Parts: sequence; structure tokens; C-alpha cells
Amino acid sequence: MPHNPRPEHLALTRRELLHRCGMGFGALGLSSLLAPELSANAAEISNPLLPKVAHFPAKAKHVIHLFMNGGPSHIDTFDPKPLLNKYAGKALPTENLRTERPTGAALPSPFKFKKYGQSGIEVSELFAKTAESIDDIAVIRSTYADVPNHEPSLMLMNCGDARQIRPSLGSWVCYGLGSQNQNLPAFVAMCPSGYPIQETQNWQSGFLPGAYEGAYLDTQHTAIERLIENIRNDAIPIPRQREQLDLLAKLNLRHQQARHDDAALESRIQSFELGFRMQTEAAEAFDVSREPQHIRDMYGPGTQARQILIARRLVERGVRFVQVWHGEGQPWDSHDDLEVIHRKLANECDQAIGALLVDLKQRGLLDETLVIWGGEFGRTPSVELPKEGANAGKINGRDHNHYGFTTWLAGGGVKGGQVHGATDDFGFKAVEDRVHIHDLHATILHLLGFDHERLTYRHAGRDFRLTDVHGQVVKSLIA
Amino acid sequence: MRDALRRSSSRHSGKFTATVLAFTLLSLSLPSLLAIGSARANETPLDPAAVEFFETRIRPVLAEHCYSCHSAAAGSPKGDFRLDSAEHFRRGGPAGPVIEPGNPADSTLISALKYESYEMPPSGKLPDNVIADFEQWVAMGAPDPRTEPAANAGTATVDPRNLWSLQKPVKVSAPAVSDRAWPRTVIDSFILARLEAANLKPSAPADPTTLLRRLHYDLTGLPPTAAELEQFAAHASDAEYEQAVDRLLASPQFGERWGRYWLDVARYADTKGYVFQEDRNYPTAYKYRDWVIAAFNGDMPFDKFVVNQIAADQTGDPSASAASGFLTLGRRFLNAQQEINDDRIDLMTRGLMGLTVACARCHDHKYDAIPTADYYSLYGILASCTETPREDGPAMLADSPTPATQHVFLRGSAGSPGPEVTRHFLTCLSEGEPQPFQTGSGRLELAQAIAHRDNPLTARVWVNRVWGKLLGRGIVTTPSDFGVRGEPPTHPELLDWLAVAFMDEQWSTKRLIRRIVLSNVYRQSSAPRDDCHEADPTNALLAHMNRRRLDLEALRDSLLLAAGRLDMTMGGPSVQLTTAPFANRRAVYGFIERQNLPAFFRTFDFANPNTPAAARPQTASPHQALFMLNSPFAMEQSRVLAERSAAQPENSPPLADHDRISHLYQQALGRKPSIEELTDAATFVASGAEADQTARVAAQPRWQFGWGAYDPLSDRVEFNEFPHFADGIWKGGEAIPDAQLGWALLNIQGGHPGDAAHAVIRRFTVPAAGTLHIEGELQHPAAEGNGVVARAVSTARGRVGEWPVAHGASPTTVEGIPVSAGEVIDLIVDSVGGDHTSDTFLWKTTLRLTRDNGAVESWNTLDGIDGPRPATSPPLDRWSQLAQVLLMCNEFAFVD
Repeated sequence: MPHNPRPEHLALTRRELLHRCGMGFGALGLSSLLAPELSANAAEISNPLLPKVAHFPAKAKHVIHLFMNGGPSHIDTFDPKPLLNKYAGKALPTENLRTERPTGAALPSPFKFKKYGQSGIEVSELFAKTAESIDDIAVIRSTYADVPNHEPSLMLMNCGDARQIRPSLGSWVCYGLGSQNQNLPAFVAMCPSGYPIQETQNWQSGFLPGAYEGAYLDTQHTAIERLIENIRNDAIPIPRQREQLDLLAKLNLRHQQARHDDAALESRIQSFELGFRMQTEAAEAFDVSREPQHIRDMYGPGTQARQILIARRLVERGVRFVQVWHGEGQPWDSHDDLEVIHRKLANECDQAIGALLVDLKQRGLLDETLVIWGGEFGRTPSVELPKEGANAGKINGRDHNHYGFTTWLAGGGVKGGQVHGATDDFGFKAVEDRVHIHDLHATILHLLGFDHERLTYRHAGRDFRLTDVHGQVVKSLIA
Repeated sequence: MRDALRRSSSRHSGKFTATVLAFTLLSLSLPSLLAIGSARANETPLDPAAVEFFETRIRPVLAEHCYSCHSAAAGSPKGDFRLDSAEHFRRGGPAGPVIEPGNPADSTLISALKYESYEMPPSGKLPDNVIADFEQWVAMGAPDPRTEPAANAGTATVDPRNLWSLQKPVKVSAPAVSDRAWPRTVIDSFILARLEAANLKPSAPADPTTLLRRLHYDLTGLPPTAAELEQFAAHASDAEYEQAVDRLLASPQFGERWGRYWLDVARYADTKGYVFQEDRNYPTAYKYRDWVIAAFNGDMPFDKFVVNQIAADQTGDPSASAASGFLTLGRRFLNAQQEINDDRIDLMTRGLMGLTVACARCHDHKYDAIPTADYYSLYGILASCTETPREDGPAMLADSPTPATQHVFLRGSAGSPGPEVTRHFLTCLSEGEPQPFQTGSGRLELAQAIAHRDNPLTARVWVNRVWGKLLGRGIVTTPSDFGVRGEPPTHPELLDWLAVAFMDEQWSTKRLIRRIVLSNVYRQSSAPRDDCHEADPTNALLAHMNRRRLDLEALRDSLLLAAGRLDMTMGGPSVQLTTAPFANRRAVYGFIERQNLPAFFRTFDFANPNTPAAARPQTASPHQALFMLNSPFAMEQSRVLAERSAAQPENSPPLADHDRISHLYQQALGRKPSIEELTDAATFVASGAEADQTARVAAQPRWQFGWGAYDPLSDRVEFNEFPHFADGIWKGGEAIPDAQLGWALLNIQGGHPGDAAHAVIRRFTVPAAGTLHIEGELQHPAAEGNGVVARAVSTARGRVGEWPVAHGASPTTVEGIPVSAGEVIDLIVDSVGGDHTSDTFLWKTTLRLTRDNGAVESWNTLDGIDGPRPATSPPLDRWSQLAQVLLMCNEFAFVD
């Protein structure tokens, strides 16, 4: 049955709502949140990001999605396969599955694994700092996707469909929940130096209103005006701008009074006040220089650390969905030199990811923040064979592997300290308790309080949903 | 009842009736479900939990994986066995029942799903959890709510073929109304009849200036000038108004406005979407856009307009060749032909006829009378065409010499071909069996069938779109869905009347618009009415006009127009709207990057260029406000408008403030200010002239990157910003060494000094007064060369630290020094004794500021390295600030 998110103000008293949104009464004239589809009714002009309630109570209120784009190797991080050593340099006893490129002999992991925490889950040295929080992490070793190529797999992981234009997970979540902070974007996608492949489609709103699209920030920059468009005005000092808004308010008030206090007019008036406040709040939210030194030290140096710290500052301020990409293009795509490249990349983010989990926990935020880690797929246990124009003839990397790979979830009502599912003896294919991306999406939405079959949007005659006609909630992942 | 149902199960209707029944059942509330259950003869009511289990766990799987073979919709069900009704399910196949209720182990269905007897579905074993659901369901006794009693409970079964929108529109005469004085046109009678039935009265006419402004925006997307408004207000009459209507319909700006509306439907863009390596631009897309604008200006009959866009190659009109862009300018989906065809089917059916045919890609349409065979019939037409690139316009479709043989793709998968289909028109729009098209691919015949007078949808859909644009609300509020799930029309007879009149008048869009804007309905005031709010909260009955916000194009064009710099040049290659220097052309000529649509478009609710747009959303977001407050574009227009307001003939004295304010109001809002407004504005201009040093300092960049020299005698630094930035490196030019600056460069970790005159400098500007600590480590890792020397130099105190390092590392610490806001700290690295070989250095530094109020902030050089800042705008003076306020106000942004 079609179901649209309910404005939270139906569940709150008027006073609570005003308190939460920090807004005037005019913002209550927001009937369009109830409308099933974009109607052509001009009277319904509203802020689509006002907070809304989910289908049922849930712990997770925010999401931080750490996207290791390019496809990190599960075999070298969270899914140890000691049996590969036995076949090192030799053909696997089972046939290599067909991936994007031909692969050959077994390639054991060059990294050491160790048991961590009470749960004793094994993690490689690459994520040693992250592993210190393993008891808060549910490691899904049996995630699988449909094809071994970046583009469709990125689309599947982000938007639930490999090819067609569909809203991203973050857009669905913002459509369903709105935002708790009207002074910041509801959905932020950070990637230093440029876009991942598939570019902005990764955080697209598809057929949902554009307000639900991720706001992209190029986090190679530190200056706020380089991060958010139009967030700063260097031609008018803030006090002068305040005077402008005061004059504007007078003008608008007279105009509005002559028009029976139309709610659409009031909405636009409020949007200027929101925008004005956003300037100060956003600048503050993205400014990690305001963090105490011990916190900055905990996350470590570098761009990854800074953007992951920003992610924490954002969810702390009520931002709904933060996606943190490792970098432009597909950094984790180690077709060759896997040992060197994976070590370098993990070194850039492990400390900060570990710090994020500890930091969220010590602030009491981990319970309400779902942290997702993973790429669009994993990598093969067999070595990639030389191919012209592909891997420089080096025989020391792994090809894409969508048959089975690791994703992990932490916080936000996830039952930590567990391994869910398993790949085969060599890590080629998920064989136990398999979790398709649709199932992962269904579970994530569940953790946020949604029945994935009922979070729908009417478009082109159909009630679309993130999981299309698929998806099973993986109950055992939920605390 | 069962017999009645059987009787209605003719070739088409059986499956649709079944699905509609299913839908009806789904949408019933729980109590009514129970009521249905108890209405069954000889059966106990189903447990609601069991019903829910079936509906959520079983039925979707059956629909997804089984119905394509085992249902009435499959034509002749495989194995003579159907799963699409409870009765058939229970009865089983020729070998008897496949379920043993309560006993999954003995049920063939379960063993087949497990691939232990049959292997079903053949396309691949279902996931274990799904099979487990089936086992549980059989164990529960296989409760199946899909039964006829839904009809017994009194629910009307709707045959979707009888849907209102599939019946030919009929022109009925205007209804009788009590207030016979009010209607000016037939339209008014239809509207008034419904208002009177609801005990509502229409509103008074809008005042002349409001009406003229509304008319101008609606017909051209631009406001009238102050002079035009004044003139019209002074001589307002019906004749004057009619003249204005005709003048605007004849103006070239009409096509720019209405052409853009069409481009929303056509999901027009200048690029292909995501691509691997190839050029992502459609370099000649604009020719299609220009053709559309010209077609609207020339009032091309809409039926011809449609045919041209689908079969321009076969209409014998060479001037229409650019129309082919309608189909060919969609997203390329990395050239996946199935997706490209799907997009084109969606465009032709939903965009032109309001039918969601694309829903029938994987299965028969769940609600509308659209079988999958119809989808693949249209698919077959497109598959029988080739795409010919052209130098002078968008690619064109041409019929292949031999049409393709097309099969249904089961579940939408090209790997699972089903029955062969002919190329024909939609079944629900055909008399009896649809007849195969005769000529070539059938594309021209398809175009003609879409644009045919007998097609009940095309004229209705377009008329409704036009009405929606002019009145702010469609007669059907789902303008791209005229199917079962769409909204029914609020005024069906009016819609039909308009559609028939439209076709009678040679499908003339201009006449249609003229007819609507001359009505009294259109001329009403937009003031909300308390008496209507309760009875008609969404103003569906149109007791008053709807107030509308300017859309992206109207807003941007109006800003430029107010500043006196809108360039009215028509046509030609698309221009960039969002990057400086800003194009002054009308927004309809803006470049549309489908893949990474700039935030400006999304912020202002632009139509998604990936799908035929039903309507644009209307949001009021703080990002819109930020654009108006801070964007270089908005500030540029404010500045120019302010300058323009001061313009005077040569040799005349400067304007008095009041006169200039009055000019501003007229140029921005088309009217003079009131006394109060004049006073407010004058006070605003006179005040607030003092400088805002603190704010400026805080807004300055923390880091700058440059080269220069430290002079030990004066204890001062000469600083020049590096001219070039790429890949995270600031340097002298693209190549290293640079002719002038040599090896001098800075990156996130450190850098390399140039020769003696080209030390490298990371410059930090202190944002607020306090105490500053510097901690860091300087490394000179090379074994060669003679090392480097680093210094920290403050503008206020001169050198505060100096650290020479060669082949090793040194801490670089400066204990707390007092600093003031705006003070500059330079971190300089120099070569030693002019020898700059092997001088690569790493210098990580943390600057920690304890503000006078105790707050602590820190900056780390490893945080990142910013490239060049966008050019900063010079301060906006008070007049420009006032101009900006007028451009931001609601009066500017809304059309009453």
C-alpha cells in the first residue's frame, strides 16, 4: 500500500515543532508534505526538509556511509582466508568465477590478521584501529551484488538499480525523515579532489524533488566558501546583511498582509531567515579548527581524517545522511600493487574511522548513528592476470568481485560484535546467509524505522521504492 | 458471481479485472477485509495476519517469478497451470494439486521451488528465505485471500478499459448556472456550475496591473515594464486586455516561454549523461530547442508538432529534421539500447498520452489496460530503427531496411524471450484487436496514431498541461498519468470541451491559450478566501486564482531584466548560466548538463532532465535564499540595477535620494514606492555606512600560498601569491621549473624553495585577537644539498622563529605570542646560501589560537590545500544592498 512519510509535526505539539525547527508559525502551512505526488498546485510551496516521523520507532537517526570506492579487498581486510596460503601461486581447486578480467592462481593476503575484542573477530592489520571497536561492528561477510563492473555496482549500492535513474539511499532517507537541522544541508556527500565515477549520480535524488539530492563538497578544500555554494558574502558584512533582511521583512510583511497571510508567502520569508542562519552555522560545522586538539589528534592528520571528523560534526548537528568517499575516481581499485596501495589507503583512513566510532560512542551518538563501511564490491582471491592497458603487466593485484564481499555496519541499533554470513573457503563467493544489496538496503531502512516496502514515492504511475520488488530485512543484524 | 466474472474474461479484460480486484482488496481496510472474509460461503474468515503474510511474502513472489508463465496473462499458461487466482492455485495442474495445505513436505510446489522435483522458476532458484516463506505459508494452510467475494462485498470492478480517459472526449454544452451574469466564456460556465454546487462564489477580478503582470509572465515569462503597467491601468478595458493577449501571443518571447514548458516534457538536455570516454555533449541539441521555440511561435498545429517529433524523417518536411531530437536527445545509459528504448517509450506514452506504458516492461501493467505485449510492440518499432548522426542537428531515427522481429522480454530481461509481438498501437486505444503497422518500422503510423483525432488522450493531456500552467493547477492534477492510478479530473466536461475545441481549431495552442486567458476564471483575483478554505482547501474548484512563484527561468530572466541587461537574442548554441562571466541570455538558452546538473538548477526546482516531467516541484528552501543573498549573479544584478537607478541624462544634477528610490522601485517592481516604503528605504541608505573590519577579517582566507623574500634588516616579508595551482600544488606555472620562479612550489606536506629571491611562503591570517602557539616539525629528507632554513614572521613582531635543517628534522615551536585580528603570520622556507639543489622539505605545523574569551581553535597544514579562491566581489554599497532587497522580496518572486 502506498505510504508517504508523515510530517513530524503531526506527532509533535505545535510548540515542540517550533522549538525544533526554530521557525515562525508560517512554516506550519506545509500541506504538500501530505501530497502523494508533485501536484501542479501552486498553493503548496513548502520546505521539503522539515522533520518527519518514520513508520515505527527506531534507534538510528543519522547515517554516515564510509564509501571505499573502487572496491576494497575483503580478503585483505575483514574476511581472512588462510586456506589461500596453501594454494599460493597455484590454481584454486575450484574454478575461478568469471569477473571483469581473467584471474589466475591463488593470491594469499600479504596482511596479518588478528582477533579483536570480546567477540574475537579477525581483522587485518590494515584496519587495526577500526578493529578496536569490533564489538560495536556487525561484519557482513556475505554481501553480494550483480555484476563485476564499477558503474552498475555503484548505482546498485547507492540507488538500488544498476542502470535506471533512481533516487539514492540518502535521498530516500531524507525524503522519509526530513532533516533535524534546517540550517545545514540534509544530505552531504564529501569526496576530496573530484567526483567518484558515476559522479553526482551516486547521490542523485532521481525522481524525488531536488531538495533530497546530496550536496557535494570537495573536501580537498578547507575554506567554507569552497565547500558550500553561496554560503558567504564577501561583499556585504553580516550586520549589514541583517539590516537588509530587516528591511526585506518589512516589505514582505506589508505585501503579505494585503494577501491574507498566504502560507506560501510565509514559507519563502522563513527560507530567508533560515538561509541567513545557515551561513553562520555551516561555517562553524565545517570548521574542524574548533575541535580540541586531543580530538584532532585522535582522528589524525590528512584529508580523510578531516572529512570523517566533519562527518561527526555534521551528524552531531542533526544532518541526516553523510556520505564520505575516499577520493576522486576509484582509489581502492587495486588491479595491481594491491599490497602497497591498500596499505596506503587504509593508512589514510583507518585511524580516523576508529576514532569516529570511539568518538561517537563517547558522545552517546553511536546509538543513533548508523555507520556503514564498504565499497561497491570486493576483490578476487585469485591474482589478476596481465592484460594490456590494465595492470601494467604486474601480477600482484586482484580483480573486481561482486559474488561475495564484506560490508560492515556499526551503531544505530546494529548488533555489534558479530560476523554475519560467510564466503566460501577462498572468499570468492558468498555462500552462507547471503545478503544482496537490496537486503542491505531493506535492513538499513529498517534500522531507520522504515518498512522498505512502504517507503514509496509515486512517479510515472508507479509507487517506487528503494528496493524495487526485492529486499529482505536481515533481522539478526539488529540489536 | 463467479460466472459473471468468467463471462467478462474476454481476451483482454480477464487479467485486468483480476488485478483490479486484487488492488481493491489490498486497499481495503482491515475491518472490511474481515467483512469480506465472513461473507464467504462455507469458509472461515482468514486471519488478518495470514492475509498479510500472503500479501507481503507470497503474492509479490508469485507476481514477480511465476505469473509470466502461470497466469491468464501468459496467454496459454505453461503446464496448463495457473497461479494467479486462489481457485486455480488450489486446483493445481493436470497432475492435480501442487499444494497440500498444512503439509509443505508433501507439496509439489515446495519441492519444485527447492529444485528437488521440477525446477521452478527456471530462471534460477529463489533465495532460501523466500522458499522458507512458502513452506511456512503452506504449513499455515496456504491461506489465499484472492477470491471473488471481494465483488460480493459490493466493490465495483472497474475494467480499466472503461476508464474515463480512454473514452473519446465529447463536447457537451455549457451547464446552466444561476449567476448568468458572471460567465464570459463557456469555460466560466463549467467552473461556475461546480462552484455553485458547492455554494461558493467566484472571486472579483484582479486589479488591472496584477492581471497584466500575470498575463505577461504566463505568456512570455517576463514582466511588463512600469510604463506598460501604468498605461494599462489608466485605460483598462476588455478591448485593451484582448489586444495585450494578442500582442503577447505574437511576440517571439511566447515561444521561448512555452517552448521551455515543452522541453520539460521532452526531458531536454545538452549532454548524454554518464559516459566512459566519449564526448558527453550533444553539440547540436540546441537545434531541437530552437525548432521547438519556433514551432510554438509559428503555432504549429499540435498534431503535426507531435508527428514531426517522432517521424521527422518521413513527413517530407526538411525544416522539421531537428524535431528528431525529441527522441534522440535522451540519456544514453552508456549506450545500453534497452534503456534507451525504454526512455523513448516512456517519453512517447507518458509525455504525450499520460499513459505509464513503461510500467509494462516487466509485467502487464498492474492497474492500467496495458499488457507487456504492447510495451514490446512499441519496443519493436524502435528496435526497427537505426540512429543516424547528422552534422547539422541532433541524431535522427530512420527505419532499418528490415524491421526487427521482437519478442516480449519476460520480466524485462532480454535474455528471456517470450512470445513474438507485432508492431502495433496500444491495445487499449485500438478498436478490437490492434492491427500490425504496415510501413517500415511503423514509426510514422505510431506517430499518426498518437496524434490522431480519435486518440482520446493526446489532446486531453496537452490541454490539461496548458491549463495547469495558466491556472496553477491541472484539471487532472497528475498531468502525466491519466491512468487508473492518476487523479480523476476535477472538471471532466470542461476538459473534454477544451480538448474537442482544441482539435476543432486545428490543434492550435495559441487559440487554446487565448481562450483560457480571456475567461473570467483566469482573470480572478488570487486573494485566498476564508469561505473557500474549509470547503475547498486546495482550491480545486478555482474560486480564486492560484498565486504562483516565479520558476527558475522567469526568476533569472526577471533579475537580468530589472538590471536592464537581459539579452533578447534568440536561438543558437547553449550558454553557461552558472559560471562567471554570467550569460545575459534568457534562461531557456542555458546549457543543461544532465549528468551533473549544477546546484542552481536543482535549488530552483528545475525539471529533472532524465524523465518527461509531470510538473516542477515548488519548494521554498534556504538554498534559494542563499542564492539571492550571496551568489555573485544576484549581487551583480543588484549592483547594476543600483547603477541604473542613478542614471540621468547628461548635465543634469544627481538624483535626489527619493527620486532614485522611486526609480529603483519602478525598475524592480514596476511601481512607485509608497510613502512608508520611501521613508524606510531612505533610512536604510543613509545608515550603516561604517566599515565592518571584524567581519571582513573573519571572512578572509586563513591560508594563502606564495613566494617572496624575508628581509632581515627590516624584519619584514615581501609576499606574492603563486600564479598557478594544479593537482594540489601551488607553483610558478604549469611546468616545473618555471622560467621565473624556478623550483619554488608548495603542496600540502611542504614544498621546495626557489632561488634566493624566491623563498616559498604559507601565509596565515589570524581571525581574532588572542594568543597563538605554533608547533611543528620541519624535515629536509634529502642526503644531498645544504638544507633549508625556515622562519615564522609576524607582521606585528617580525621574526618569531628560525630553524635551519639539513638532512634531518627539527621541531618548529613558537611559544604563545599575542596576536591581533587580521595579523599575518608567514611560514617561510628559504634555500641556504643560494644553493637550492635537493631542497625538498616537509613541514607539518599546527597553529593554535586561544582567543581572548578563552575559546581555542587550531589549524593544521595537513588539513588540506585550497586552490585559488573565486574572485572576491568588491563591497556592495548601500544602494546596491537596497536594490538587492527589492529583488529578493516576495512581490518580485510571486505572481498574484
